[in-house]
Amino acid sequence: MASSGSGYDLSAATFSPDGRIFQVEYAGKAVENAGTVIGIHAKDGVVLGVAKPLYHKMIVPTTASYKRIHTVDVHAGVATTGFLPDARVLVGRAQEEAADWQEHYGSKVPPHVLADRLGHYVHYFTLHGALRPFGASCVLGGYDVDTKECGLYMLEPNGAAYKYYGVATGKGKQVAKTELEKLNLHKQDAESSMDVATAVKNVAKILILLHKENKDSDGKPMELELSWICEASKWKHAPIPKDVLTAAKEWANEQLEEEDEDDEEEEEAMEEG
Amino acid sequence: MMSASHSSMVNPMSSNPYGLKEGEVSTGTTILAMPFDGGVMLGADTRTSMGSYATSRSTDKITFLSDHIFCLRSGSAADTQAISDIVKHYLSHLTIETGREPLVKTAAHLMKNIVYSNKDSLSAGVIIAGWDPVEGGQVFNVVQGGSCLKQSFALGGSGSLFIYGLMDSEFKEGMTQDEARALVKKAISHAMARDGSSGGMVRTMTVTAEGNKRDVTPGNELPFGPVF
Amino acid sequence: MWGMNHHHRSSAPADPKSHTTRPIVTGASVLGVKYNGGVMLAADTLLSYGSMAKTMNASRLMEIDQTLIGASGEYSDFQAIQEMLEAKSLQMQSGLLQEREGDEPPMTARSMWNYLRVVMYHRRNKMNPLWNSVVVAGKDGATGEFFLGNVDRLGTTVEDNIMATGFGAYMGVPLLREKWRPDMDEGEARALLEDCMKVLYYRDCRAASRIQLAKVSADGVLISEPYELETSWAGSTDYIPLNTPLALP
Repeated sequence: MASSGSGYDLSAATFSPDGRIFQVEYAGKAVENAGTVIGIHAKDGVVLGVAKPLYHKMIVPTTASYKRIHTVDVHAGVATTGFLPDARVLVGRAQEEAADWQEHYGSKVPPHVLADRLGHYVHYFTLHGALRPFGASCVLGGYDVDTKECGLYMLEPNGAAYKYYGVATGKGKQVAKTELEKLNLHKQDAESSMDVATAVKNVAKILILLHKENKDSDGKPMELELSWICEASKWKHAPIPKDVLTAAKEWANEQLEEEDEDDEEEEEAMEEG
Repeated sequence: MMSASHSSMVNPMSSNPYGLKEGEVSTGTTILAMPFDGGVMLGADTRTSMGSYATSRSTDKITFLSDHIFCLRSGSAADTQAISDIVKHYLSHLTIETGREPLVKTAAHLMKNIVYSNKDSLSAGVIIAGWDPVEGGQVFNVVQGGSCLKQSFALGGSGSLFIYGLMDSEFKEGMTQDEARALVKKAISHAMARDGSSGGMVRTMTVTAEGNKRDVTPGNELPFGPVF
Repeated sequence: MWGMNHHHRSSAPADPKSHTTRPIVTGASVLGVKYNGGVMLAADTLLSYGSMAKTMNASRLMEIDQTLIGASGEYSDFQAIQEMLEAKSLQMQSGLLQEREGDEPPMTARSMWNYLRVVMYHRRNKMNPLWNSVVVAGKDGATGEFFLGNVDRLGTTVEDNIMATGFGAYMGVPLLREKWRPDMDEGEARALLEDCMKVLYYRDCRAASRIQLAKVSADGVLISEPYELETSWAGSTDYIPLNTPLALP
């Protein structure tokens, strides 16, 4: 036992002397190693996006078992990352919760309740020595039928389920968070608040940027999976239409090229100067 | 009298293992609810009877479910009290979990679930009426058997049969609060005059966004007296 | 003690839990026809409580995933079927391993009809039937052709070009059989159904003149708002029983 922490990482049921539960932190690492998820709460809807690295040339990207954005109920969807099989257990649970709510109360589960209940579920797996915490995280987007408002939440492996204006998790979360902050989503004034159409473009842009910046993925193919809930989707959770996605990708690539050129010009100017 | 008839009936071997109906305290009743401009008006007589004996002449049949939702009960008093207690419990739980007021349709759905899934052992016809911020004043009728009907006004209980015609001709959408209260009182008085199982006083409850208001009209001050 | 119990037992032998023995709040007939380019259903909007008209504005036709369902019989059971199918549809749409393209519905009319058969037959085997006769209209997923079928409360299935439940099975079917042609257009189908609904309104004490029509065609599904049938009393208004003096002498 070299350091004060060693030996306390074998079970989620035991705290380390300095008050940490290593198993839960390791579960967080599993998420940090997996593909990026981004969510934006726009003024008129929510957008979810994931980048799916194609680990192998022979993978068919549209295969159902490689789906990473799932519909939970008509009005809610989750984008997942981490160990996908773990994530799918979460998705299944979310679908069950939504269906149970519908049966019991005859209405759609409010997104904040769904997030809260999933949080409780995930947290349960951090309490018992016999259980393994979820090596997965998910971003939940939902539409509240009663208040006519959308909500965006992220579930962490420790069971936290916070609400966000914009959120990112997975491998590229640091860069993505910086990019999201530049969009001023948290400033809810009319001028800077973003509509879903712009949000879609920006989600695509950030995901493509991350892919380009990542040395491991350089040159390897990547697939974008995006969904939204907005007026255009009749306030239902739906994949973003192919033409909208294609346009978003084109815009994103153009923007990134422009920014590259600007950078180069700046560099040249610096050298000349 | 009641215990005697009950003990002979509660026999799991008999074809009526729950000892229901015969001799049971029932709310042989007139109940009525209707939305008006800005809320919903509920009304009921106050008689509870066992056969032809009036067990109570001042019963309150307007039962609280949540801040702006009430129900009116008809059928077995025991059954409807028990299930409205359960719905009240569910709604308070729901209020805590969602952090907002429950919807009237949610209350009706909960009531329906119970009545429908226990239709073989319950004797219950319940009107759920209330106000919520999403849809305003609404009235639902959960009928014996568990059908859940959203209605422009709802009548229930044995006395209702005598006033369907009156309500069909006098009810209008978007009445004022005072018009609604007057109609409810008038209709229930008419039912009480013709239905032996309805009687006593007329209680009303006005539910609006601002709050709820009770009102009671004693049996000697009704807008319509017995026919002579 | 045993003697007493035995006495009870012999007088009341095996006494299983009793279930629904009669419908309570009921809807009357549902009619359906296939026509050239689609399939159409009709039902009135009355719900009866015994012989009393309980409510006159209840829809007994529903759409689920581009399939039409119409039910006569116990309304609470119809509502339960409605909720069950909606839950089932959602489950199939968002199933984890579903991989579907575009707007293709997860369940087509024929499969929904078969699914209902399983449910209805299962319930009748538990001596607790869903007290309905359900008409299913829409498309056959395999052939792409229009479909019209019926499931009754025992789980019996029928498939035909015309369909009628309740009183309609007695008074609608002969009319439908006489007039139906495979090449009839939408207008003719509508006129035929309205004619039958009118006869039912005249002669079925649990029917009403306020009806809804619904169709599935290449354009998708459409359920009309409730509307009033135009009825005729010609030849009836001037009817006077024989031997009735018209005026006092």
